[in-house]
Amino acid sequence: MRTILFIISLAIGAVLTAQQNPTVAPAQTRSILIMNATAHIGDGSVIENAAIGFRNGKLDLVADARTIRLAPNAYDETIDASGKHVYPGFIATNSTLGLHELDAIRPANDVAETGSYKPGIRSAIAYNTDSEIIPTIRMNGVLMGQITPRGGVISGTSSVMQFDAWNWEDALIKADDGVHLNWPGVFHKHYDKGKVSVEKVKTYDQQLREIHTFFNEARAYCSVKEPGVRELRFEGLRGVFEGSQKLYVHADDAKSIQESLNFKASQNIQHMVIVGGYDAHLVADQLVANKVPVLLRRLHELPMYAEDDIDLPFKLPGMLYKAGVLFALQNEGDMERMGARNLPFYAGTAAAYGLPYEEAVRSLTQSPAKILGIDDQCGTLEAGKDATLFISNGDALDMRTNAVTHAFIQGRSIVLRSKQTELYEKYKQKYDGKK
Amino acid sequence: MRILSVWLSLLAAVVVQAQPTFPYNGILPKDVTSVAFTHATLYMDYQTRLEDATLVIEKGKIVAAGKTVSIPANAVVIDCKGKYIYPSFIDLHSDYGLGDAAPAKGNEGGPRMRGGSGNESPKGAFGWNDAINADYNAALNFTCKEEAAKELRGIGFGAVLTHKMDGIVRGSGALVTLGSQPNQSLLNPMASGHYSFNKGTSTTSYPSSLMGSIALLRQSYYDAQWYSRGGSSEERNLSLDAMNTLALRPSFFDAGDKWNVFRADKVGDEFGIQYIIKTNGTEYQRLNDIAATKASLIVPLTFPDAYDVSDPYVSRLVSLDEMKHWEMAPSNCAMLSAQKISFAITSHGLSERAQFWKNLRKSVKRGLSESDALKALTYTPAFWIGANNELGSLKAGAWANFFIASDNIFNESAILHENWVQGEQFVIDAAKTIDLVGNYELKLPKHTYELKVKEVEGKTKASIQHVKPGKNDDGTAKMDTLNYTVSITSVNELLTISFDASDEFYAGMLRLAGDISSDRASWSGRGQDAAGKWLEWSAAMKGKNETEAKKENGEKRKENETAEVIGDVIYPFTAYGSKERPKAETVLIKNATLWTCEADGKIENGQLLIHQGKIVAVGKTVDASKYPGARIIDAQGRHVTPGIIDEHSHIALASVNEGEQACSAEVEEARVVWPEDIDIYRQLSGGVTCAQLLHGSANPIGGQSALVKMHWGGNADDMVVDNAPGFIKFALGENVKQSNWYNDGTRFPQTRMGVEQLYYDHFIRAREYGIANVLALEEAGLKGVTRQNSSLAIVNSPRVDLEMKTLWEILQKQRFVTCHSYVQSEINMLMHVADSMNFTLNTFTHILEGYKVADKMKAHGAGASSFSDWWAYKYEVKDAIPHNGALLHEQGITVAFNSDDAEMARRLNQEAAKAVKYGGVKEEDALKFVTLNPAKLLRIDKRTGSLAAGKDADVVIWTDHPLSIYAKAEKTFVDGICYFDSERDAALRTDINNERARIIQKMLNAKGAGEPVRTPGFKDKKHFHCDTLDQTSQGISFK
Repeated sequence: MRTILFIISLAIGAVLTAQQNPTVAPAQTRSILIMNATAHIGDGSVIENAAIGFRNGKLDLVADARTIRLAPNAYDETIDASGKHVYPGFIATNSTLGLHELDAIRPANDVAETGSYKPGIRSAIAYNTDSEIIPTIRMNGVLMGQITPRGGVISGTSSVMQFDAWNWEDALIKADDGVHLNWPGVFHKHYDKGKVSVEKVKTYDQQLREIHTFFNEARAYCSVKEPGVRELRFEGLRGVFEGSQKLYVHADDAKSIQESLNFKASQNIQHMVIVGGYDAHLVADQLVANKVPVLLRRLHELPMYAEDDIDLPFKLPGMLYKAGVLFALQNEGDMERMGARNLPFYAGTAAAYGLPYEEAVRSLTQSPAKILGIDDQCGTLEAGKDATLFISNGDALDMRTNAVTHAFIQGRSIVLRSKQTELYEKYKQKYDGKK
Repeated sequence: MRILSVWLSLLAAVVVQAQPTFPYNGILPKDVTSVAFTHATLYMDYQTRLEDATLVIEKGKIVAAGKTVSIPANAVVIDCKGKYIYPSFIDLHSDYGLGDAAPAKGNEGGPRMRGGSGNESPKGAFGWNDAINADYNAALNFTCKEEAAKELRGIGFGAVLTHKMDGIVRGSGALVTLGSQPNQSLLNPMASGHYSFNKGTSTTSYPSSLMGSIALLRQSYYDAQWYSRGGSSEERNLSLDAMNTLALRPSFFDAGDKWNVFRADKVGDEFGIQYIIKTNGTEYQRLNDIAATKASLIVPLTFPDAYDVSDPYVSRLVSLDEMKHWEMAPSNCAMLSAQKISFAITSHGLSERAQFWKNLRKSVKRGLSESDALKALTYTPAFWIGANNELGSLKAGAWANFFIASDNIFNESAILHENWVQGEQFVIDAAKTIDLVGNYELKLPKHTYELKVKEVEGKTKASIQHVKPGKNDDGTAKMDTLNYTVSITSVNELLTISFDASDEFYAGMLRLAGDISSDRASWSGRGQDAAGKWLEWSAAMKGKNETEAKKENGEKRKENETAEVIGDVIYPFTAYGSKERPKAETVLIKNATLWTCEADGKIENGQLLIHQGKIVAVGKTVDASKYPGARIIDAQGRHVTPGIIDEHSHIALASVNEGEQACSAEVEEARVVWPEDIDIYRQLSGGVTCAQLLHGSANPIGGQSALVKMHWGGNADDMVVDNAPGFIKFALGENVKQSNWYNDGTRFPQTRMGVEQLYYDHFIRAREYGIANVLALEEAGLKGVTRQNSSLAIVNSPRVDLEMKTLWEILQKQRFVTCHSYVQSEINMLMHVADSMNFTLNTFTHILEGYKVADKMKAHGAGASSFSDWWAYKYEVKDAIPHNGALLHEQGITVAFNSDDAEMARRLNQEAAKAVKYGGVKEEDALKFVTLNPAKLLRIDKRTGSLAAGKDADVVIWTDHPLSIYAKAEKTFVDGICYFDSERDAALRTDINNERARIIQKMLNAKGAGEPVRTPGFKDKKHFHCDTLDQTSQGISFK
């Protein structure tokens, strides 16, 4: 009851301070039990009639409600979620949320630093917890993100954040999870007079040599434990060489992916992830053999070639699943930040085109957690993990039924409001008042 | 008779005709002889061939030709036994003799800076737009250019129609021969008028798009009409003067792409002009449509090279249509000919002239008859240009324009020896008149070798085979066969032979020189052996066997060509096209959940009957007894909805924005519909049946929309919906203010305040224009004025102004506005403008702040076509909310969700679902957001948008609840034609794969055979959004 009152007062507060982001939820003090929901665990399994309990921000119970007995006061609060669905919080990988606010407004843009080789560029410190876009994303179940800098050859270092925080420090789930390398295109697109022509990049070999040189020099530098003269550019790759950070290679076409895998071998990179991967299905065996997962490019896009199956982008997740490739979904591209709230529906499309439903859930939960290296902490509904989860009235992967009623980040009950709902209510009042 | 020496001496004998009016420095030479070519095979014209006939020419003209021609006493006689004489060719598409570079604007023909949309004042009494170069006169700029003439003569041409290939109206063309004297060459200084859609080097900013070019050309014709009706008393305009002069000549249109052929023909129809249209060789892809235009064509012989497809990944960059075009391009002429389409052939566009004969012969192998090929190069072009008594045949009185060949010119080995232009001899390949081919006994002091001389692809190849006795390791005798490559060259009748011997008689390089006997049967001379010792040699011909063998080879090759498998034309000519377009069916859909979008609501287990493109009946059960042949589709578990209608789309267009001027009401998207866009098919797969193809949002008053249905495989006319109300795009806000351009803009308006004034200015002008028009017509009618009896009313009648006419239609409520809009202030403003000008804004599109002024929109009567959940992409959408649709709907406004995005368009049903999610719109109402409501907004709800008897059969069968992410379109019907069917789609995928695999094998074979290949790279179209600029890459990808 106290919670409810609190939420109401918050709502009023929000209306008074119209168009402000909702207040960050305080740490979980009261334990919560969600009963009778269909629990999508995130690892591919599902529990009908689940009992899910969490306290102090951590899950301590995930079980079939019919198989357990609980003391009446085992949890401070019980949410009856009969007929509803519970999911682990969805993770937006390769995201620029918090790095930009309004696409056309240059001062709001912190997405891409200038320059070519800049592993030391860190997204975490530019991440704007007060972005008005983030609350709108949470309302569809997306509660965490890998915030990724863009541009150049090595664009910088990403960090994994949760979406309810006072500042970037508080938001961090995993700082500096990996370095992002944009594989030089074998082909580049050239726009002219409404036509797109794709031509072989003339400097491809040159660019490749530069990347090798940079990595060779950086490795040589990093093999000295405490260098006398410090070189910040090389310093940024130390974690990659030591295996504590991943190397995310952004590549789409088969040749680039193959070359990336060769690069992994020749540079002895321990953890590599392909980001993009339009052609990943053509080189799936090699990806599996090299244990390289994929953050798959956005599903809701047109095929690259007129000859491709018209539903090829929709089918890719199912194809990668069948081939045994570990993958997660992401949505880099036009309007990606505000569009991140549609990520659940990407998974829905994947499920409609050949990916088993629970695998579709997994592609936004356990799989990205594994790929980002946070699976010991989140990504599944398992006792001991963060209580980062949400309740939806219906299937959260279908826009027809996605209706998030509760969302928790590390046990904290977050406020499901946004600038957009404020405006909606404000103008609803205008018209309701007229009636 | 030694033919050669006579020919040589003739070079001196022929007197180049002098210009009588010119002074002469020296003893005046006179043209006092004639020339008789005897015993030749004469092509009197493209279809009349005479053997052993005589041609007599004198003073540059043909005097007589035929089998019984008497040779004048003053004739120099040339024996052409075994030779073929053809009337030389005429190329109607040429810029020969006009200078290499396009003439610089501002210098050529006096001051030509005519201003643009900026502030430059016009210089000279010309029209305002530099792309209208009607006053350009090719004849004034013509001079003979020997290098270029030589190239053309070398492949058989004797005359060309030359014009400046620059601009939309390109001025007059001149008919010239390829002789050496300008005063002789220029046959007709004002032979033709030339047009295109390409603004060329014009620096006037307008037009920047194909549709702008079309509009400018049309407006120029209307201006010219006005000018001749009396406009000249108001304004002296040399460009319009010239337009009217040009209109009296044959009109040539450089269209290029096949779709531009139809676009050009349509402009011609409007002004009673039948253009002769220069194409790009893709006409075979739409033969029936081409035939229907009745246009005559000038066709190039540009056949693309194969691609290097050896890498399976890289070969994906080569599209199916590029592959098929590579295979089919050589069949173009044959197919045009079979379709009885009148065409001429041009050599223009070939990267090297040598390709001309290769490609022409290839065309013949693909089924073009030799006579049709000749016709397209002689009779047809001569006839079109009104010169068929002068050119294109060997009839008496015609210019002595002909060429002499060694053989039937369509034989691979035939050589073009000489090309005569107006009686002037040009030797092309005289050396080849000595035929060395044969088997010879080459007699040297120590041994007589067998020498074989062959001709391979026009080159002389000689070899000696010598059998040398030797011993094996075990001492037994053996025979070694040695092959010597022999170099043999002849200059006139002098021979040089060398070969590297290594046998029991000679070792090292033997070098021989000598000459050919008059009967050519033997050679003799002296030479040196490797040691430098002089020797005597001779050779005697034993036979001509190799010539026979050569012919056999040729025929064998010909057989191979005939056996070649060529793929089918598919409609459209791209992936997912098919040989046969689907046809309208009679279909009974049973057991379906029908979402009628009508009062009936949702009908469970319902039936729907389709016949002749219409919905005949909808209901729980329908009477289908009258249609016993109906295909029955059991739609158990399936959902059936009306076809999805996208109110705001930019697919299937060749251009989207004519963005240079603040008002471009004159441009029409319907004229640039592009039916081969793969996105048409992709959207059918998402249940889309109909879309409004809108102009972009670069200007406050944009262009006219095209309303299309997704008739995949049809032409633009098939797609554009007949008799649909006309619409025009308006736009407000950041795009029209150019706010997000990289540089500061200068075009008015730069603020929302300026936008308002711009609307008032244009509507007030349009009202004045309209009223003046009406008055003029009334006056003319009242006084019984006709064109014949009084020029007064006509002189006073306003000129047709396509821009004002369009705006006047809005004021007359004959055309409706779809306005790109975001923020409430400007929405409110435009409604005030409309109210005060007494018209209603039909639709606000995007309208993301519509929810703030829903009550005002309701009062005005405007509809809304919005996005479901887009926002935050620029400042003016910072307050956009996904509940917008629901709030507007609740206020009683007709709401649609549109795409403005080629990808999202195929998931519009899912976008409709978001109206349920954000704001709680009822599911059936939400579905109407993408069916009935856009139909209402487009004023076509009487014929489509819901499942009701009598409406167009635009119907989708879904696998699941239509608002669900899991729903896939299984079948999509447009006007009763099932254009998308998931089963057929699977078959098409297989077809694409098989067809590609087949052609890839063929390309690899071509590569293996040494044919030139290209590195793959692909070209496809850019996916247009609102502010995509047509001809620049400055477009920013925000909506």
